Amino acid sequence: MVALVIALALFFDFTNGFHDTANAMATPIATGAIKPKTAVALAAVLNLVGAFLSTEVAKTVSGGIIREGSGGVQITPEIIFAGLMGAVLWNMITWLKGLPSSSSHALFGGLIGAAVVGAGFSSVNFESLVQKVILPAVFAPVIAGLAAYVCTRLAYALTARHDPETGTKLTQKRGGFRTGQVFTSSLVALAHGTNDAQKTMGIITLVLIAAGSQAPGSGPQLWVITACALAIAVGTYAGGWRIIRTMGSGLTEVKPAQGFAAETSTASAILASSHLGFALSTTQVASGSVIGSGMGRRGTTVRWNLVGKIALGWLFTLPAAGVVGALTALLVKTGAVGVLIAAVAGSAAVLFMFFYSRKSSVSHQNAVEVEEAGQAVRFAKKKARAEAKAKAKAEAQARADARANNTKENRR
Amino acid sequence: MKWLELLNVAVATLVAAATVVTLYSLGVRLTAIAADAQQTSPGVKRSFAYLCFGLCGLAVLAGLYLIIPYFSK
Repeated sequence: MVALVIALALFFDFTNGFHDTANAMATPIATGAIKPKTAVALAAVLNLVGAFLSTEVAKTVSGGIIREGSGGVQITPEIIFAGLMGAVLWNMITWLKGLPSSSSHALFGGLIGAAVVGAGFSSVNFESLVQKVILPAVFAPVIAGLAAYVCTRLAYALTARHDPETGTKLTQKRGGFRTGQVFTSSLVALAHGTNDAQKTMGIITLVLIAAGSQAPGSGPQLWVITACALAIAVGTYAGGWRIIRTMGSGLTEVKPAQGFAAETSTASAILASSHLGFALSTTQVASGSVIGSGMGRRGTTVRWNLVGKIALGWLFTLPAAGVVGALTALLVKTGAVGVLIAAVAGSAAVLFMFFYSRKSSVSHQNAVEVEEAGQAVRFAKKKARAEAKAKAKAEAQARADARANNTKENRR
Repeated sequence: MKWLELLNVAVATLVAAATVVTLYSLGVRLTAIAADAQQTSPGVKRSFAYLCFGLCGLAVLAGLYLIIPYFSK
């Protein structure tokens, strides 16, 4: 049972890396600052390194949210198995439906749902849950967005060049930001490793504690850290090839300076949160930054209804995955047959996901999760605005002509 | 209370991101100035630009140094 959970957890880690490479490396590849092959390899290595940097988030997952229990260990490997299965299944559902969702929150939701059903409400430390998962989930994207807004303003203000005498605009020469994006993207990849790989470490540690092979309250062991780091790095590398194929298919227009500011904010927000053991979704933080930096540019409007849709999807994930986790826990509770059914259903889901992803054509929409956030900010381009004006004028003219014709015909 | 930690994260994020972006932007601007045609001393400006890029890199490394528990113990 323990081995099964560990394998499933490592697989979850792999898919996490598989999904999130795009978030970090999409922009520098798109702007041509770095070759796709190099970018993917770099992201994989940095994820590996990042996973070794800190273990605070892992401790939050393994020791903070689910009570190991003072009077004997309440949680069993079976419950964790059910929770993981719930997360994997929920991820598959959202992925098929194209809903914005966070795999991290699916993981927590599944785990909490399974724990409540399997061991009762007292097994979940709700205070710690609110403080270390829910509050950061709400605030981190806002913080990152705010930082990105300020930074975009700063970057544009500092590099705006005017002729001192005539006041006319000079060539801005902001090409330097393109090179800078290579570094900021690397930082994002590093930050991703420090936060996301640790969630899996936390799960495996929790299983080991539940199985009684590790003392409650202790941190992850070295082999666990290594295995998780490798799994996320391999996932990142594997996922990268998918993105390379999709590159050049209409990414949201992000200027290098803007991308630089957004990525710096994302990386700082995630790294700062990881340091304090806040477990948050990298995708959500990156989305917050993209929106924030879009607002920092001049002549942009935010499509608030789209932002609302994204936010709603985020809010929905935790309870929904909780329900799936709870159902799996009920199934597992029935005994060995239930475990078998859950395992078979889970593997079938995973296999189906794998083959479906190979069959379906990859578009930028399912490769880049932040893409949707990018679309939430509308850039009023001069050309587009002029075109719209011309179109409106032409229509008005046509209408006037038609009216004139009508009156003429009426007169006849 | 965790609100304090949350505030901590917010301030740290803002300060770190703003520092890095400011230094890098200054570097970009100085390189642009140094590349202008009629310049009296492009060399000085260029070296200042490199200084800015260097400081920016140092700021990133300093931030990582603060975060990695291995160093702070």
